[in-house]
Amino acid sequence: MSVDSDMEYSDNDGDEYGDYYGEQDDCEMETVDQSKTDPEYFLFSCLRVEEVEKLLNESIELLSNSLQITPSLAKVILHAYDWNAQEIIDKYKENPNEVLIHSRVKPRVPSLSANISCSTCAVCATANSTQKYSALTCGHYFCNECWAMHFEVQIMQGVSNTIQCMAQECEVIAPEDFVLSHVAKPTLRDRYQQFMFKDHLKSHPQLRFCPGPNCQWIFRAWVREGARRVECQGCELLTCFSCGAPHHAPTDCITIRLWLTKCADDSETANYISAHTKAREALKKYLHYYERWENHARSLKLEEQTLASLKSRINQKAQLEAEIENLSWKVERAETTDRGDLENQMDIAEKRRTILLKDFLDINTNCASSSKM
Amino acid sequence: MFNIAAKRIIKEIKEVINGDQVEDAALKLELVNDNWMDLRGEFKGPPDTPYEGGAFKLEIKVPETYPFNPPKVRFMTNVWHPNVSSVTGAICLDILKDQWAAALTLRTVMLSIQSLLAAAEPNDPQDAVVATQYKENPELFAKTAKHWTNIYAGGPNHVWEFNRKVEVLIDMGIEEHKARVALSTNDWDIEKATEHLFS
Ligand SMILES: [Zn+2]
Ligand SMILES: [Zn+2]
Ligand SMILES: [Zn+2]
Ligand SMILES: [Zn+2]
Repeated sequence: MSVDSDMEYSDNDGDEYGDYYGEQDDCEMETVDQSKTDPEYFLFSCLRVEEVEKLLNESIELLSNSLQITPSLAKVILHAYDWNAQEIIDKYKENPNEVLIHSRVKPRVPSLSANISCSTCAVCATANSTQKYSALTCGHYFCNECWAMHFEVQIMQGVSNTIQCMAQECEVIAPEDFVLSHVAKPTLRDRYQQFMFKDHLKSHPQLRFCPGPNCQWIFRAWVREGARRVECQGCELLTCFSCGAPHHAPTDCITIRLWLTKCADDSETANYISAHTKAREALKKYLHYYERWENHARSLKLEEQTLASLKSRINQKAQLEAEIENLSWKVERAETTDRGDLENQMDIAEKRRTILLKDFLDINTNCASSSKM
Repeated sequence: MFNIAAKRIIKEIKEVINGDQVEDAALKLELVNDNWMDLRGEFKGPPDTPYEGGAFKLEIKVPETYPFNPPKVRFMTNVWHPNVSSVTGAICLDILKDQWAAALTLRTVMLSIQSLLAAAEPNDPQDAVVATQYKENPELFAKTAKHWTNIYAGGPNHVWEFNRKVEVLIDMGIEEHKARVALSTNDWDIEKATEHLFS
């Protein structure tokens, strides 16, 4: 799980910590500047695996100290509550049972059929008095050999944080210490902890792995909706923090996902056609909202000058609309031979998009400030 | 792991043979070619349903990692049901997927499939055409299911009207099963079914 340390980045370490540990006041000036020059400016930071581990451990420690529970249980609960430690602490004060049930540490209904005698194991169908048995909080006892195999199969399939009890209809989750007490193979233990880390990242709304190939950098940001451009400090890839796709503003995340699905699947399947139709509808929707914004802007009785500049934007918009229309017409009838042509068309549309986006946001900001209540 | 799977399967077959079953369930479970990874199951259609009186055969493939992974189960008997593919026999049932638990047995799996026949879940369909008919025309659905049970599962209840319609298409040179599928998916409208077949 380690990342090769790179001197160039290590030098910056201290500064970066300052940045994302909340001293946003200091960089306010810079923020304003960047947000002026870059219409897609978005506050985020690039972290290393060790830094993220530290960040997660702080939450785990906070929770395990305030609730007086093991770090292993704290992880299960944090995962279930999207790493919002404060929310958990508040809810736990109100009703600890509800928190434990919601995070599947405890069973919803006490298991009546729990096998307390431990004379036979229902999984391997063996009655062996020399075998050791264990159970989660639900009291479903199984032999340790079966637990070990259950965990091995689950870990090999990439499951880590959500491995369940082996009993029928039992949703209780096996916490880390229980799993590790049954798994001896070092490679398996490593694999488990790697998956666990990735899983934690997935459930953490502020974090996302850089999707670059073999890239170990992690983005941290505080907003996770709408198209949000982030640039990786390691591989320099531009992606969207909200959805992980290549950066795609002003198209929304769903549209780009449909578009990528279509691109990944070059065959003329039903999926492609329906996905594409949706993408096209979404593009139209984008234009529709642009139009509405435009009308709204007009109703604000902007000064003549602004109106004039707006008119030229409308022209640009009409052009972009035509490009997109053209593009989607071609895509609809796309054959593999059209690929080069399509890419050209996309390129044209992308250039217009960039120009328009910048103007669009500029006007929008003016508009917003003049219409403040 | 190999050991546990084989041991479990042998025990499960015994459980089904000696099990204190309700007569209606009448489960059968046996090995194919003495290989524990390949089994055949059979159960009776639940009473008071269109499947009543039919005997339904299942193909059961046991993975090496059984019981830590679920068995792969599909119908070998053609079934008209929203949660069963009328083409492949694939079954949409949660315990065969993410709700599988190592403590479950093939007996519970077969009983669950049997109760799925009695209580369909049209909102989680395996066969969209059947599910639509189930929702929009429940009477026609029940008749079609009864007809399929009669033809493919040896059920006692004939649906003469449908038999005749199938024969009309057979006379036109269409293979029997193809004819039945075309009629079933076109709400037993002969014109629509032939259009469907010849387009
Ligand atoms: Zn066991
Ligand atoms: Zn349990
Ligand atoms: Zn990267
Ligand atoms: Zn996105």
